[in-house]
Amino acid sequence: MEIWRLPISASQRGKLISAGYTSLSSLSSISSSDLARELNVSESEAMNILKVASHSRGSETSNASCSIVEGAQSAWDMLHDEESLMHITTSSADLDNILGGGIHCKEVTEIGGVPGIGKTQLGIQIAVNVQIPNDFGGLGGKAIYIDTEGSFMVERAFQIAEACIEDMSEYNRFLRKDFQECKIKMQPQDILENIFYFRICSYTEQIALINYLDKFLSEHKDVKVIVVDSVTFHFRQDFDDMALRTRVLSGMALKLMNLAKRFSLAVVLLNQVTTKHTEASFQLALALV
Amino acid sequence: MTPQSLLQLTSQKCTTGCPILDRLLYGGIPCDSITEIVAESGSGKTQICLQLSLHAQLPVSHGGLAASSLYLHTEFPFPFRRLHQLCLSFRSSNAHHFPVNDNPCDRIFVQSVHTADHLLEIMSKTDPFIENSKNQVPVRLIVIDSIAALFRSDFDNTPVELKRRSSLFFKISSKLKALAKRFNLAVLVTNQVVDLVGPNEGINGLRIGNLVCLHTSGRRVCPALGLAWANCVNSRLFLSRNEEVIREENEKSNGQSCDFVKKKMRKLYVVFAPHLPESSCEFEITREGLFGVER
Repeated sequence: MEIWRLPISASQRGKLISAGYTSLSSLSSISSSDLARELNVSESEAMNILKVASHSRGSETSNASCSIVEGAQSAWDMLHDEESLMHITTSSADLDNILGGGIHCKEVTEIGGVPGIGKTQLGIQIAVNVQIPNDFGGLGGKAIYIDTEGSFMVERAFQIAEACIEDMSEYNRFLRKDFQECKIKMQPQDILENIFYFRICSYTEQIALINYLDKFLSEHKDVKVIVVDSVTFHFRQDFDDMALRTRVLSGMALKLMNLAKRFSLAVVLLNQVTTKHTEASFQLALALV
Repeated sequence: MTPQSLLQLTSQKCTTGCPILDRLLYGGIPCDSITEIVAESGSGKTQICLQLSLHAQLPVSHGGLAASSLYLHTEFPFPFRRLHQLCLSFRSSNAHHFPVNDNPCDRIFVQSVHTADHLLEIMSKTDPFIENSKNQVPVRLIVIDSIAALFRSDFDNTPVELKRRSSLFFKISSKLKALAKRFNLAVLVTNQVVDLVGPNEGINGLRIGNLVCLHTSGRRVCPALGLAWANCVNSRLFLSRNEEVIREENEKSNGQSCDFVKKKMRKLYVVFAPHLPESSCEFEITREGLFGVER
């Protein structure tokens, strides 16, 4: 909600805006004495303004997200939000370190590598790890796995799920010796059930699916990660019109970013690599970059 | 679009005919995925392909697919005699599955392929072919022996041609995967090797995208067709052969040279696969076929 909608006098409004306060969230963390100093008004007036602001904010909590999309969010609020978001662990401490805690929600992460290096394995691991319950430091969410290459093997996912549960039991045993109730009730089958698996065979299917995800995610709000295994595989065939390919790809990337931000989930894109011929040497580069 | 339920999505496997190899491959060649066998000539690629085409006909309870197979060969001639030989031993060891006058060779459909475009043409005709085969014994295995032969001579070394070659890889692979998904087929592709010159580290290793050092006949090799094709297959197996000295014989006391007994050592490696760890096992090729050796 903007300041200009607050039921305060015009001069107060003008002072607020000229001091730099344009949205309610910016008034949320300031004390009345600081506000009085900034606006050059009496402290009682400042307290009044803050009271009105918090009252309006309270009555409009349902529109709170709307205000964050409409108006600008202060960097402080953004930092708060970012810090409060959970990460999805990759089960490797070093990798988590590099990623700053794990795979971040509300962000698109691209992982590329040569064939056989472990991209699909990492994708499956993330799809399993997102289901770690909140008690164990995970998100307790579900996963969408979009397989374009056919490299998803259920038996491997089962193995990884079993190992994850074993890991959690170990953690349970070491740290929560008193809490017998925190027994792991999860079974590998439950973990597999929480992975929504889509197999697509052409780029049109891929585009259609990404468009459909909007609807799917509004019905399944507990999905916390989307893994696309080889986002570029189907686009590497002969696309006669290169401009069309670029448009389609960037459109798809934008949609995924949108989904990530709106539904507060993580998007992980697995990509292949190609060799780039630059001058006299060869370099590995991510495909279709 | 509805998501598939993972619990019902168990991948079927086609047995290789040898329990030791099956153990290495966690059951055999998986369906709905492309498995590539890389080896230099004379290592046993065609042997494995023929053996699989026969064993695919076994009932599902015995690890087969109860299916016929489509064998596309690019290197002439097709080894009919060897197939016949293998067929005889296959029949004798699995007599209870087949009626008396039955010839398993009847269920292997052979087609020769000349160029990459010819292959694409054939694949567009494969759809109705497999559809029709559902009435008798369905086709559940496609073997392409070898894919490398189609691409190694037709293309010049210019960027335009290489680009066309790469996009052909993706086209063929995508069609094969679509077929594999639609009819739940296992696809087996064989590939050749090229020599790797120079150090394996740094840019040379990266260029080939080959992190694992493959050795055969004492040379360092890497699979043909490069990084683009490597992205198209799901699993890669490597067959190597080496001459190994196992012991000395006829040691003469006056220090003359002695004879070494050399043995051909053949090994099957799993280079990469989404469901297999990196492992290897030794095998030998006999009259009856290709079998793993337990050491």
